[in-house]
Amino acid sequence: MPPKPAAPGAPARNLFHPLPIPPSADDMCPVCKTIRYLNRDMEFLINPECYHTMCLNCVNRLFTDGPNQCPYAGCSRTLRRKGFRSAFFGDLAVEREVDVRRRVAAVFNRVEDDFETARDWDNYLQMVEDLTFDLVHGTGEKRGEAEKVLVRWEGEHKGEIERNRRAGREREEQARRRMGLEKDAARERRVAALREVEEERRERAASKEAELDGIAAAPDGRGGVQLKRRGQVVRAVEAAAAATAEVGRLSIRGLKEKGKPRGAEGPYDPFGGVDFAPSRYRLGEGLAHPQVDKYRFDQGHVTGGYSFEEWTARAMYEAFAGLGVFVEDEKEAGIGLSSREIATIASGIAAVGDKMELD
Amino acid sequence: MEFNIDDLPVLFPYPRIYPGIYMCDLKKTLDAGGHCVLEMPSGTGKTITLLSLIVAYQQYYPEHRKLIYCSRTMSEIEKALVELKSLMKFRAERLGHDEEFRGLGLTSRKNLCLHPSVKREKSGSVVDARCRSLTAGFVREKKEKGESVDTCLYHDNLDALEPHNLVPNGVWTLDGILRYGEEHKQCPYFTARRMMQFCNVIIYSYHYLLDPKIAERVSKDLSKDCIVVFDEAHNIDNVCIESLSTDITEDSLRRATRGVQNLQAKISEMEESDQKKLQDEYEKLVEGLRGADEARREDAFMANPVLPDDLLKDAVPGNIRRAEHFVGFLKRFIEYLKTRMKVRQVISETPPSFLAHLKEYTFIEKKPLRFCAERLTSLVRTLELTNIEDYQPLQEVATFATLVATYEKGFLLILEPYESDTAEVPNPVLHFTCLDAAIAIKPVFDRFSSVVITSGTMSPLEMYPKMLGFTTVVQESYAMTLARRSFLPMIVTRGSDQAAISTSFKIRNEPSVVRNYGNLLSEFARITPDGMVVFFPSYLYMESIISMWQGMGILDEVWRYKLILVETPDAQETSLALETYRTACANGRGAVMLCVARGKVSEGIDFDHHFGRTVLCIGVPFQYTESRILKARLEFLRETYRIRENDFLSFDAMRHAAQCLGRVLRGKDDYGIMVLADRRFQKKRAQLPKWINQAMMDADVNMSTDMAVSSARRFLRSMGQAFPADKQDGVSVWTMEHLAAHKEKVERERIVELTLAREKEEAMMVGNRNGGGGGGGGGGGQWVESDYEMDEDDEAEMMALDAV
Repeated sequence: MPPKPAAPGAPARNLFHPLPIPPSADDMCPVCKTIRYLNRDMEFLINPECYHTMCLNCVNRLFTDGPNQCPYAGCSRTLRRKGFRSAFFGDLAVEREVDVRRRVAAVFNRVEDDFETARDWDNYLQMVEDLTFDLVHGTGEKRGEAEKVLVRWEGEHKGEIERNRRAGREREEQARRRMGLEKDAARERRVAALREVEEERRERAASKEAELDGIAAAPDGRGGVQLKRRGQVVRAVEAAAAATAEVGRLSIRGLKEKGKPRGAEGPYDPFGGVDFAPSRYRLGEGLAHPQVDKYRFDQGHVTGGYSFEEWTARAMYEAFAGLGVFVEDEKEAGIGLSSREIATIASGIAAVGDKMELD
Repeated sequence: MEFNIDDLPVLFPYPRIYPGIYMCDLKKTLDAGGHCVLEMPSGTGKTITLLSLIVAYQQYYPEHRKLIYCSRTMSEIEKALVELKSLMKFRAERLGHDEEFRGLGLTSRKNLCLHPSVKREKSGSVVDARCRSLTAGFVREKKEKGESVDTCLYHDNLDALEPHNLVPNGVWTLDGILRYGEEHKQCPYFTARRMMQFCNVIIYSYHYLLDPKIAERVSKDLSKDCIVVFDEAHNIDNVCIESLSTDITEDSLRRATRGVQNLQAKISEMEESDQKKLQDEYEKLVEGLRGADEARREDAFMANPVLPDDLLKDAVPGNIRRAEHFVGFLKRFIEYLKTRMKVRQVISETPPSFLAHLKEYTFIEKKPLRFCAERLTSLVRTLELTNIEDYQPLQEVATFATLVATYEKGFLLILEPYESDTAEVPNPVLHFTCLDAAIAIKPVFDRFSSVVITSGTMSPLEMYPKMLGFTTVVQESYAMTLARRSFLPMIVTRGSDQAAISTSFKIRNEPSVVRNYGNLLSEFARITPDGMVVFFPSYLYMESIISMWQGMGILDEVWRYKLILVETPDAQETSLALETYRTACANGRGAVMLCVARGKVSEGIDFDHHFGRTVLCIGVPFQYTESRILKARLEFLRETYRIRENDFLSFDAMRHAAQCLGRVLRGKDDYGIMVLADRRFQKKRAQLPKWINQAMMDADVNMSTDMAVSSARRFLRSMGQAFPADKQDGVSVWTMEHLAAHKEKVERERIVELTLAREKEEAMMVGNRNGGGGGGGGGGGQWVESDYEMDEDDEAEMMALDAV
């Protein structure tokens, strides 16, 4: 089980987190005295209770069965498996200081805008810093006092702290979003520039082609000589185009060609590529028939949002609907369905698309 | 010689001058009060032309605008000072009196120190640190109190002098001021620095103006109307970028930790003995007081690394006001960096993302981080530390902290865990790189009204204003007028066997290419008299190709004609090689120097006359494109300035190639062959400086080795003919008479132009009158008529539309 950061506010591990700590020859676990030479994947953990380092094996050995005492001589703290994590800093004093700071920062989380003058803000900062300093480096009495101040402050200003925390998180979120946007914009610009270059190259190649065409069309025999090199030019252009398409992507040679995933390109088509345009007939503009013409202006038909064109389209569709279905074929390919069923399925399939158009 | 440009009398110390309108354009820029980019062929007296015009300008007009002349290397600074000295001598002779004039050069403490033990130190930073420990303000205070502390006699003597008159009038070369300092027992470095305000001309390195860490202290008092000149400025964008970038290694972090521990010990020591001082500092910080001149004090531990505009003006944040809090803060930051260094994959991130992560893990906010450098300076002063060199790494970390918290855009953090792709042992480096050259130079352009950027090789000129973010008044590339064709630029694209040669990555190690390059080298080694210089695109390629040549027996062939010398990354070895090279060239043995196009030799070393008769540029000197820093910069350039990757890479390669070519031609009586050996040069020809491009015949751009060799032979034979100097007069150099003739001609042209313009104007006026009076019927103004025609057409169209 990988160790988890213990403190609730501990930042998520990300790209920059230096795990595993790079091996150096003289690494030795102070508890079991194993050295890196014997265990290449040795990982050191600490517990923010006492900040004593030990290797992962020791932790598993000592603390899987529940809380236990720290194996360091003279250290009587009781540690739990859950509390162990790897240190971010090489210097554990700094690690501890940062842990303290995390606690303090969660409580004293005002921002400069809360203060009237810069002077007040600076004094506040110094007060916080003094407190932190006492917590980190202070001895016995001072430390206790600072601890008390911290707890009291937390109790007194609960609402305010919560509010500030939310505001802070929002600010961070905003900043992150802004950074993301900037990154996206930069990427877009880069792509645009690449495209531009590519376009230019293509243009140049095209103009060269045109020139060659001109030469080829020339009446004297010089054209043939010049054209010998033509194939090379075209090939070179293609190769260059392929090369620029590869730009920015990591390219590994010798991979097997894989078929492109189908349907990945273009927007999603809910009808799976069914063409709605009627294939057997064409709807003209001015369809006129004395039998139906009266409906065009008939109040009873027109008012309800009824479109005459829609109606004609539908009538035409119905007239042609079954024409693509050959019952005999279906029968042969049939899988034990009755002919009636087949006919309905076929017409249903044929109708699927056009229904949409009519609606 | 003496002449006038418009109404400005210019005294020029030599009897001949190279023709051209460099001076006129320069004057135009100064009059208009803007910036300019000028490209002038190397070895045509650019420096003296610049100096003589600007000195004339400042002496003639009542504003007496100060000149700040920035160059790149020590030797170039010294050269400019010598030129200035001879110019002033000439002026004094001509005018009959010495002018009220001071010209000084400034360089590092290491070069200007006279203190018997300090000057023996090898490293510049150690000299700086030791000097500070002898000259800092609190040391003097202690001495006044009667404590026994070491001080520098040379520095202390300065206090006895009048502060605005430390040296007499005149131009002081670096040598000269060292001698003067030794004679009068005064410190040349501080003399120069303190006299800067009272100088008419200051000559120093770019860094004193561009690097905010130094500029803040050294160049702050210079007034706005100064004329700033950046000479040899083809690399100025890189200088700008370097001045705002820092690298952090694991070792420096380790030493920084030690520094923090020392600081902590010092603080607790002081808390016991002298708590008042710490309390004083604390109270000052609480009040937000900051001595107005603190940052600029000569003894300041370090200056703020950010540009003056980006400095925060408010008080130091409350959580680092106390010394012990600040030390804890630093410790946490360093530990965080150490942890980041343990990651074994390449990471590149922007400063905001770094800060967000930092805050998440260490609760370090942005604002105190921004104050890191300032707070550290204040602490070091309060603690009165003397062994400052121990705190160097800590200072680096603080610089990094301040920069990363100050700048969001145009910077990138890149963590490279391994030195190369194949390395097994990690050696992580955290690069904090500036991607935008415009950031560092912006204050210079904002502050000074006239900035002149000039060099021998700056093509294409429009790249510089684009990259550095400024607008120019004049932007000009000057051609070279020659009495005879004194240099032969050629592009060799094929070997004798007609196979294309190139150092492009795909074919660079093919035996045929290597052999063809080898043949090219040995052929030219055979026909070139005396010295020959060969440039390779990189050390790596040079090594591999030399070993292959050795296997093919090509080096033995070359050995018969020339001594072979190789540049190495080590400066001392290289200077030894150069010395040998010069000896061999001078005594007739002849030598060939194999160097790298971006190395030390390609930038500052001149191969004039017999020291360089042929320069062979093998391959286009592209940068190492796999470098992540370069990649990031290319991307930035594309997104911000719309400069495409290939354009920039090609520009950068060609300016280096041009620099290499320019090494052999250092004046008009010099001659040399310039060979660009790569198929790809053919397309890049237009990017060469005008003066080289102009001299390149169309027949010479696509040659094979044997053609190039025969052409070079012909050229060398023609160069062997006697060529008396006076034949150049009037064509490639002008004497007084030519100048007068030219002036007359120009004036005549101007008169003709004016008369023409007047006539045209008059004709126009007549036309206008006619057009206005007679409506469309008059035969006067053509444009009036055309107006009507237009209308008619429109009408016809309308009618046609109606008819449809």
